[in-house]
Amino acid sequence: MTATSDREQIAALAARANDNRVNLDFETEGMTLNMGPQHPATHGTLRIVARLDGEQVISAEPVPGYMHRGYEKLVEVRSYPQINTLVNRIDWLGSFANEVPFILAAEKLMGVEAPPRAQWIRTILFEMSRIANISLFLGDYGLQLGAMTAGFYAFRDREHVLNQIEAATGGRFHPNFDRIGGLKDDLPKGWITDSHRAMDKLLAFCDELDDLLVGNEIFQSRTRGIGVIPRDIALSYGLSGANLRASGVDWDLRRDSCPPGLVYDQADWKVWTHPDGDCFGRTWVRLQETREAALIVKQLLDTIPSGPVMAKVPRIIKVPEGEAYVETENPLGAMGYYIISKGDLVPFRVKIRSASFNNISVVPWVARGAYVPDLISILGSLYFILGDIDR
Amino acid sequence: MPKVPGLVKGLGVTFGEMVKTLKEGPQTTRYPHEREEPAPRARGVISLYEENCTACMLCARECPDWCIFIEAHKYLAPPRREGGKPRQKNALDRFDIDFSLCMYCGICVEVCPFEALFWSPEHEYSEVRIADLLHDKSRLGQWMQTVPDFESYEAGSEAKVKKVPR
Repeated sequence: MTATSDREQIAALAARANDNRVNLDFETEGMTLNMGPQHPATHGTLRIVARLDGEQVISAEPVPGYMHRGYEKLVEVRSYPQINTLVNRIDWLGSFANEVPFILAAEKLMGVEAPPRAQWIRTILFEMSRIANISLFLGDYGLQLGAMTAGFYAFRDREHVLNQIEAATGGRFHPNFDRIGGLKDDLPKGWITDSHRAMDKLLAFCDELDDLLVGNEIFQSRTRGIGVIPRDIALSYGLSGANLRASGVDWDLRRDSCPPGLVYDQADWKVWTHPDGDCFGRTWVRLQETREAALIVKQLLDTIPSGPVMAKVPRIIKVPEGEAYVETENPLGAMGYYIISKGDLVPFRVKIRSASFNNISVVPWVARGAYVPDLISILGSLYFILGDIDR
Repeated sequence: MPKVPGLVKGLGVTFGEMVKTLKEGPQTTRYPHEREEPAPRARGVISLYEENCTACMLCARECPDWCIFIEAHKYLAPPRREGGKPRQKNALDRFDIDFSLCMYCGICVEVCPFEALFWSPEHEYSEVRIADLLHDKSRLGQWMQTVPDFESYEAGSEAKVKKVPR
């Protein structure tokens, strides 16, 4: 492609985009930059095709599909307990959070409800997987922007949370602990005390990270005012989770429409928002969310009711005919399962709404006019997991 | 408040962390020389208690990726009481788990109605050849020695602690 046709193309693109973020004054050459599929900022294999004008991004198109595993088709030939192990692998950093909406949707169809003790433990593990997920972001985002130290500290303190998840469920990353009607097993002795200790360490880590990363001048200059997503754009692109809250929208499924089976109303906590909508805002909201999640866990640990952890369900699970949709606030945003059952051992159809797929749809909009190094800031701060995009 | 230069503040944070590390010791372990014990519930390897297995095939059927291979034959065992009928029993010929396919979900251990499968936290069994990850019934039986006793439960639990047959 010659330079002239590039200029024309850029001008056409800028005209179509109908904004003045793309600068046409300089004599610069156009270029196509292929980021990924193996870029460390993509958390997996996402390819971004960026058209550049000098160092400015004219357009950036995410190309997902390199990790497509066909979950929605695969679950049509798996029984419900088997699906539970599979959905663990959608967002592999917060695995337990993936199980919960699926199990809740199946429970809704079957008309069973988990006993209170199981609901409590479910919520605790849900928040722990949120911490395990977001603390990786807090470390990794620094790493992407050149701050090595935060990565080490995040991995150190994430370990305590993962150890607690492992002690309770048996799996560090893929717990497979949730069952229709309750949980697989009860907590082992001494778990509550150990969890309190782990959460205390995590709260100290949040303060430390405030110093090390979020308060860092270099970090702030790389993230403040970069990749601003205004409120109406965030809403129209269907963002959810911390990305939406960082744009000033006070919306959290845990508080607003918590499905029965999770006990967020039993704890006293706060939804954090940030007015700016830039990369810094998204990081800040996630840091506050980690802190808030640790506080939720600490409150719920003190009030676990006694009793069984499993309701009475048949040994061979057949879900009655019907349709159900349940969505919860997962670490990455709103995640939901739409299950259609024909009364068989396997579901007829499952539609998975995962947060990251919608979250990256805003990349073409937000990357336009950004500089190449800022593209990494933007991609990192949107925080997607490739398994969550492609499924 | 006087503005502290960023460099000084950053070095202060670094120094604080250094003192903390010197006081508390390192967070890492030198793995092959020192070992961290995984939690007793950790899903490391599946072990088989052969005496309890009746070759009912439930585990092989429920496995999400079909990595369990069972072959068995029937034989007539002598009657329990004198004058009774001989009993028909299943003898296990082959019980293989392919750990290169296994997803470590634990469904087989959970569905086993005769308590023949157990989780062991042992995890150091990597192999050079992928075919060596197929553990046969004698190898699976050896893992039984590494199975820990079930832990007692947290206060307020109504679950009963099971026993590991030995």
